[in-house]
Amino acid sequence: MKTTIPVEDGDVLAAIRAFLGRLLESGALEAIYVPLEAAGGAAVPALVTDPARMAQANPLAPVMPINGARAVSALTGKKAPGRVGAVLRSCEIRALIELVKLQQATLEGLTMIGLDCPGTFEVPRYMERQGQAGGGLGDYLAAAREGRDPGSDGLTLRTACQMCLHPAADQAAIRFELFGLDPTQGIPVDIPDALAEQLGYSAASADGARQAVLEKVLAAHRAKRDGALAAVRAQMNANGGLPSLFNACIRCHNCMTACPICYCKTCLFRSASFDHKPDHYLSAAQRKGALRMLSDALLFQLTRMNHMSASCVGCGMCTSTCPSEIPVGMIFSAVGEQVQAAFGYEPGRSLEDPLPLVTFQANEWTEVGEAK
Amino acid sequence: MSDNGNFEPRIVAFLCNWCTYTGADLAGTSRLQYPPNVRIIRTMCSSAVDPVYVLKPLMEGADGVLIGGCHPGDCHYQTGNYKTRRRYVALHEILKASGLDERRVWLRWISASEGQKFASTIGEMVAAMRELGPNPTRENWAV
Repeated sequence: MKTTIPVEDGDVLAAIRAFLGRLLESGALEAIYVPLEAAGGAAVPALVTDPARMAQANPLAPVMPINGARAVSALTGKKAPGRVGAVLRSCEIRALIELVKLQQATLEGLTMIGLDCPGTFEVPRYMERQGQAGGGLGDYLAAAREGRDPGSDGLTLRTACQMCLHPAADQAAIRFELFGLDPTQGIPVDIPDALAEQLGYSAASADGARQAVLEKVLAAHRAKRDGALAAVRAQMNANGGLPSLFNACIRCHNCMTACPICYCKTCLFRSASFDHKPDHYLSAAQRKGALRMLSDALLFQLTRMNHMSASCVGCGMCTSTCPSEIPVGMIFSAVGEQVQAAFGYEPGRSLEDPLPLVTFQANEWTEVGEAK
Repeated sequence: MSDNGNFEPRIVAFLCNWCTYTGADLAGTSRLQYPPNVRIIRTMCSSAVDPVYVLKPLMEGADGVLIGGCHPGDCHYQTGNYKTRRRYVALHEILKASGLDERRVWLRWISASEGQKFASTIGEMVAAMRELGPNPTRENWAV
């Protein structure tokens, strides 16, 4: 059902806080995963059970310190311990769907609460914005209303957000519409009928502005994406190729740690397999005349590509976390897009689509494995 | 490095225990001649060959990697080689997209009775790798 949440004095955040508080007070949900404003200006993802804590909730904070799919995986495991809700962006929901297929989380007993996402800033950029008058929330909502990039010259959105093709959280059970939002009319929300009844919301007609704004956002993002991916592909096909892109990699594994899809607890690259004996390094160096230290950086990246790029949702957490500022996410998106296209697979689209490397059909790629 | 005239390609082959490895064994016991450029590693199934095992020799400078498995439908474990096939498709896409040479990685279905096919496959692959020349990562210390 579509309903509208009333907004008083143009305070959209207060209206959303009140709604989340009611979800807890009514007993519809026992806990909600949502960012809380903490001392020092940070927005800290938290699992909230006390409705009074919702006074600090800020799902509109344009920052994503972690991909929430990882948190929900921890909160649900094989079965959610209670009626848990999670406020998630589209990329978090899509990563979560992949994690469910990888048997690392479940949607049973989980209520996904989604918001239209105009994009997020890197944590330091977000903190800088927080220092400005009003914390930039008014401008952020205005950008969502008009369908423009909320970033400015000095404070740009994360690159993954600038080229995001899924700014709307389509799979969420409860979905707040921020694109084209006119606060004086209230916030349009998609909500399951039974829950609307329990909370006492009645159906309201949808505003027409959103679709046009969403299309404007998508067109801008698509253009950005095409340009950025073409540039990174050109680099990969130029002399030096992919190896040269990862020359600055210090193999810290941050990209793997931040990646919502990379869930393996016993990653090969953190195992003893790569604790080489000293004479291994010497002989490897003698073979090529020199050996990169730390070794196996490109092998790590290529292996990670093989293991997760089919499920890569392009959230860009890897780029955000890279201390060498390598455009890891862009590279993985460029490669992942081709892998996904080969299997006709769109990660995060549906639980019904089997993971491409788990399923198979007998009569496919019959030319593979045969002499040409 | 060496010029193409005396360049001897080095090929690492991962062969499934039930088909291709036995086929290679047959090639040997049948005294079939094939180039000595291949180093064979026996695996229980072609689907046990994680891409990391293919990538590692390529990073170290091997000129080619061959994965050998049972013909589709004949997998000792029913469906392993179907999964190998998909993984190989993904690996090829990744190598292609990365600007690395996907022509250095081959997948071939060779059964236990196909000793001749094994010998000729190695011959073909050595010729093809000779054509491609040495793997450039052989000299790239920074990988």
